Amino acid sequence: MDTLLTAEIVASSPQFRRKSSIFVDAIHDLPEKADLAPAQLYSTESGRLFHSGRIVIITVGLPARGKTLGVKTRIFHLGDYRRATIPFGEDMPDDYFYVNATASSVLLRQKIVRKCREDIYHFLNHENGQIAIYDAVNPLASGRRSLAKEFAKHDIETLFIESRCDDERIIEENVRRVKISSPDYVSWNPEDAIKHYLNRISSRIPQFQSMEEKDLNYIKMINAGERLIVNNRSFGYLSNRIVFYLLNLHIKSRRTYFARAGVSVDADSYKSDVSLSEKGEDYAKKMTECLLAHREAEKQAMVAQGDTGYEPRSLKVWTSTRRRTVETARYLHEKGYKVRQRSQMSQLNPGVCEKMSERRIRAEYPDEVSKHELDPYHHRYPRAEASTSYHDLAVRLEPIILELEREQNDLLIIAHESVLRVLYGYLMACNAADIPFLEFPRDEIIEIIPESYQNEAQRIHIPNLPEEIIPASPEDLKIPVPASGVVSPMQGLGTPADGLATPQSGTRTPREPERISQQHVEDVV
Amino acid sequence: MASSLPPIQSDDSKICVVMVGLPARGKSLIAGKAMRYLAWVGIPARVFNVGSYRRNNTPQPQATFFDPHNEEGERMRRAAAEGALSDMLAWFQAGKGTVAILDATNSTKERRKWIHEQCTAANIETLFVESICDDEDLIMTNILEVKTTSPDYKGQDPELAALDFRKRIRNYEKVYETIDDGEKKYTYVKLINVGSTVIINQIKDYLSSRLVYYIQNLHIKPRSIWLSRHGESEYNLTGRIGGDSNISERGEAYASALPELMRKSGIPENTKIVIWTSTLRRTIQTARHLKAETSFEKLEWKALDELDSGVCDGLTYEQIAEKYPEDFAARDEDKYNYRYRGGESYRDVVIRLEPIIMELERSENVVIVTHQAVLRCIYSYFMNVPQEKSPWMEVPLHTLIKLTPRAYGTEEQRFKADIPAVSTWRGKGTSAKHQDFPADGNEQQK
Repeated sequence: MDTLLTAEIVASSPQFRRKSSIFVDAIHDLPEKADLAPAQLYSTESGRLFHSGRIVIITVGLPARGKTLGVKTRIFHLGDYRRATIPFGEDMPDDYFYVNATASSVLLRQKIVRKCREDIYHFLNHENGQIAIYDAVNPLASGRRSLAKEFAKHDIETLFIESRCDDERIIEENVRRVKISSPDYVSWNPEDAIKHYLNRISSRIPQFQSMEEKDLNYIKMINAGERLIVNNRSFGYLSNRIVFYLLNLHIKSRRTYFARAGVSVDADSYKSDVSLSEKGEDYAKKMTECLLAHREAEKQAMVAQGDTGYEPRSLKVWTSTRRRTVETARYLHEKGYKVRQRSQMSQLNPGVCEKMSERRIRAEYPDEVSKHELDPYHHRYPRAEASTSYHDLAVRLEPIILELEREQNDLLIIAHESVLRVLYGYLMACNAADIPFLEFPRDEIIEIIPESYQNEAQRIHIPNLPEEIIPASPEDLKIPVPASGVVSPMQGLGTPADGLATPQSGTRTPREPERISQQHVEDVV
Repeated sequence: MASSLPPIQSDDSKICVVMVGLPARGKSLIAGKAMRYLAWVGIPARVFNVGSYRRNNTPQPQATFFDPHNEEGERMRRAAAEGALSDMLAWFQAGKGTVAILDATNSTKERRKWIHEQCTAANIETLFVESICDDEDLIMTNILEVKTTSPDYKGQDPELAALDFRKRIRNYEKVYETIDDGEKKYTYVKLINVGSTVIINQIKDYLSSRLVYYIQNLHIKPRSIWLSRHGESEYNLTGRIGGDSNISERGEAYASALPELMRKSGIPENTKIVIWTSTLRRTIQTARHLKAETSFEKLEWKALDELDSGVCDGLTYEQIAEKYPEDFAARDEDKYNYRYRGGESYRDVVIRLEPIIMELERSENVVIVTHQAVLRCIYSYFMNVPQEKSPWMEVPLHTLIKLTPRAYGTEEQRFKADIPAVSTWRGKGTSAKHQDFPADGNEQQK
């Protein structure tokens, strides 16, 4: 046995649960009637990646997050089941969380776990689910083994993910961040909050055995991703993707900005890759000035607040390989900012519908229009050669998303609106069905600020732009879905709070996102 | 057009991948594959093999040379390491590379510390890759490979070579120190028994994480990969590129012949094979009979779709030469980097194929039915074809290519179906009409 492993295991550090910002796989969360699979990279009839099988990810000491794994994912918080079983106001047995609980508490616990497991089976067997995330602390090796056995009986692969931290500095910093944004500590004194939080973590988990079961599939994350230990018994495709994803995770307070490309000479052709028009040049200049002024003002504000530790991060620029986006970055390039072209960030290809008016599209392709309206996220216009759906685009953008997670600098992304929709949808955990309707007027730069519970977005207004270039790009194929009532603000975590910057078009009611609950109590089973 | 745009920039970080491990642990295999992968994605990489430096002075040393108490041997091995490292630093200095792979045992902490210091001083990141293996069968396979292929034992009795090699390994074992907590400041990855346990420490940049992910996906189970273009399409007949046409009558004949051709190429018994196609009609139609007759599972990948020729989609090469003469010439000039107006370049195709390559490394037996440009890119990865050549490679229609990866290099076999088809191959500087493929199966003139 490696000394390295054993050293980690005996380290009796407090467990900490990293609070994440985004909880569902929103990009690929599908409407029920989707006729195309939610599969990443390829499609199958069942809607699952068949060479991967169904997986339960079981958390060991960390909260669940299921970002862009590309398949239908749902999180099952054991805490929610406990709360549903033991109604609010009613007392929980004192020994509920203890290992040596009384028989009645053990029975209660088993009942709650069973209900949760049944829901997982239902999701995986009858709702085309591919990944279920079972969120509980799962502190004991024996418990984990029996869980794996139980799921194996149902032909479901298990992957345990454990998070450990023995670096006081990281714990402190994380608690500080959590303290600021956790609703639990709204009116608390910061020092008390930290103390209370740390106390709660260690007292809730009386006995904890770090994962060392060589017969199980597991990933152990140590000190927020500094070290990863992967025990691969039988990893499938998705388990490997998860490892890569975890490799690229890190918590940083860097900013991501989104800006549209300027308008071009012949704006309504997708195929001809043309240069910026005069107005486009003007936009590029104003956008650059506006962004740099905003960053400067932010820096001044930090200094004025006496934040001596503030270090401005450098800014990088990514564009697509299309001329308009590259030329929009020209002023930044001239000022010495590093500009990278990313071929994956090319816009959606509208296929046959290029250059056609909406009326003509409706007349010539009525079937396609109704298909598009049913599922604008997955629908591809005909001329299959190059025509892309939002889903195809999201798949193509996956490497970009991973790199985005890894980037240490601030980043400006200049791209076509369709690309911005998908990237924004990822960072802000929008519902897949809403992604095609996100709007990015040209007179706004979107700034995304990472927070522990949810990323925040704000809009920076670019002044003095001519009216006609502001609205959605004319080359963009748009078939508005008929209005169906009032716009309801999206609720729940992982989406921006009301009034914040979700650029939602007013023509459609967004689907209620899956309810996600955030837990502040550690559930031990 | 494309040439007027700023060049694609790479990130500044330079990485030295330092292999760590006893002999016969697959270090050279990992190093070689990683280099091929990096070259394929366009990252300049080179392997610096300390053994080949040592061979300059001691071409065929005995095991005693590697005894830690042999001062002379120790001194010469140290000199070889210094030679490799200083050449590597000079290579970075000259701006030639992004990733260097230092292939040696690097089995002591002292040696690793020295490498780390040298690299840090030159502003190069280090990534230690340790391969640990206690599976006797795996080690034996590697020893067999070494005694038959290593220049150290060239021309020697294989049995004696194996014996000597085992002695050499024992000498290394005397001083071997695995990477442990004392080295936790380093960026490292430990692979235990070909990735069954992997420990990844302090990965800081994206390129390293990609490399680690790649290495983690490697396996050494025997398998083959079959490549085929779609059967002749209606567009092929009229010489048009792109599109989403159906296969022609002759294309259909190829589709019917494909199952038999697969059998002829040799399918190991009780083997699970998966069929991959693009999302375009012509590949799906071509794989139809194979799927029906064999009941292999089938996947359709968007990433396997043909290179997008943008405005030129649906035109013949002659029409392109007439309508876009400058573009046509520019494409001949640098076919790999030329991006069709509103379409893709070969470089773009390689980028979108990267997940496919990762998946192929992870998979076992796979049949891929795809398109000319995509097939050239995949083939180039396995056969290490340089970028200047890959876009010009001839990949005839109605031919099945079987690739079988071996420890050092990939074995290729071609099986031609006796079904005529047009040739879609175009020589540099010509707008030659597609020609009928010579029915006798001779290579046509280039």
